[in-house]
Amino acid sequence: MSATSPAVAPILDVADPAFSITAPEVHAARERSWYATTPYGIAVLRYDEMSRLIKHPKLRQGSVAWPAHNGVTEGPFARWWASWILNKEGAEHHRLRRLMNPAFSPKLIGGLVPRFQALASELIDGFSAPDQCEFVSEFAEPYAARVIAIMLGIPEEEWPIIARESVTIGLAMGVTLREDLPQIEDALARLYAYCDALIADRRKNPGDDFVTALVNASREEDGRLSDTELRDAMVLLIFGGFDTTRNQLGLAMQTFSRHLDQWALLAERPELGRAAVEEVMRVNPTVRWVTREVLEDFEFEGLELTAGTTVHLYSESAGTDPRVFTGGFDITAERKPHFGFGGGAHHCLGHFVARSDMSEALPLLARRMPDIRILAGDSWLPDSGNTGPVRLPIGFTPAS
Amino acid sequence: MKVTVDMTMCQDHGQCAIAAPEVFRINDEGHLEYDAEPGDDMLEYVEEAADVCPVQAILIADS
Repeated sequence: MSATSPAVAPILDVADPAFSITAPEVHAARERSWYATTPYGIAVLRYDEMSRLIKHPKLRQGSVAWPAHNGVTEGPFARWWASWILNKEGAEHHRLRRLMNPAFSPKLIGGLVPRFQALASELIDGFSAPDQCEFVSEFAEPYAARVIAIMLGIPEEEWPIIARESVTIGLAMGVTLREDLPQIEDALARLYAYCDALIADRRKNPGDDFVTALVNASREEDGRLSDTELRDAMVLLIFGGFDTTRNQLGLAMQTFSRHLDQWALLAERPELGRAAVEEVMRVNPTVRWVTREVLEDFEFEGLELTAGTTVHLYSESAGTDPRVFTGGFDITAERKPHFGFGGGAHHCLGHFVARSDMSEALPLLARRMPDIRILAGDSWLPDSGNTGPVRLPIGFTPAS
Repeated sequence: MKVTVDMTMCQDHGQCAIAAPEVFRINDEGHLEYDAEPGDDMLEYVEEAADVCPVQAILIADS
């Protein structure tokens, strides 16, 4: 037993929906030990250990078994889940990643920046009251869904389809997956049909856009994406891009409402938008944990990790680890990288898009919504897994 | 061509090793190793590796 592993590790009851992964209890546990035990396996609490384990070759991405853990082993949903690039490893994963990467190139995304700005301004202009808004329905949700519409090259007014079907598919992340399965599979079927039509259209009318880049992706040793791979990937990208962006924008407002000096600074200096996104994702990431599974037994920092163990890497706990980060929330500080986009082979495929659209939105929001405060009536997803606000009424001083 | 990786930025995510395995690889310790002067036939793949690097740490120059 090494000095960094206490004889008895802290225990965290994260399976309780009322448990908060950002509670003082978790931070206190981090000061006692680099890990805690949980009903799922272990939780990694410190930056250095998370940094090493997130790309450790003896761990694999850990969510592949989720449907089976909930008794769902066949049917369209189980098949779709198994198709996720996130749930593949090795050569199969690398082939998909190589074929999908070019569509997410920062070069392709740069050209969309003016559209992101126009969209953010339009939504703020449309707030129903001059001094308050319900941030999720009036900004985060339409913004996240319309960014995806822009990426896919579909009419932006079709954004409610993206939002509605993604929310239904999101039920699959919850513990009631089995009960919700019929409606999840209906939503999946509708998104498949939608994506099939889009793929067929771009085959006929190729453009200079994201879907065409995916449809035409090819490499000598990798071939091309099949029609099934294309529709599976596109449904994943719609779902993955919508939910996370919506949630992360809401969390950004929560953080800035507690640091109004930083909010005012961002309004004054919009070039800090990029740094603001990084700083928010360090202290308040929507992806509260990154899941890994131990592939083969090995020892790490005095702890025996056995094959099959689930390892949850706690991104907020690592991102606020006082061994690495000091000085509180500061969008002008030079920081080590956070883990809000995961890491290693499974590092978020869409991070250039997310970084770009959020770094345009936040300074505009800061300029147009001074002195934000969260009003009564807010409600939140459980503070674990993927989190964010369900409803977020925000008051502000109308900008002059 | 000459390839330089800014090792102060590199986080060993290994996306470059997926994009251009002939030039970049993650060693057994989990750290990046790379060929700093690959043949010009590798250009397309190296450009793709530079493009996908999450921290944009890869620089390509004519040698």
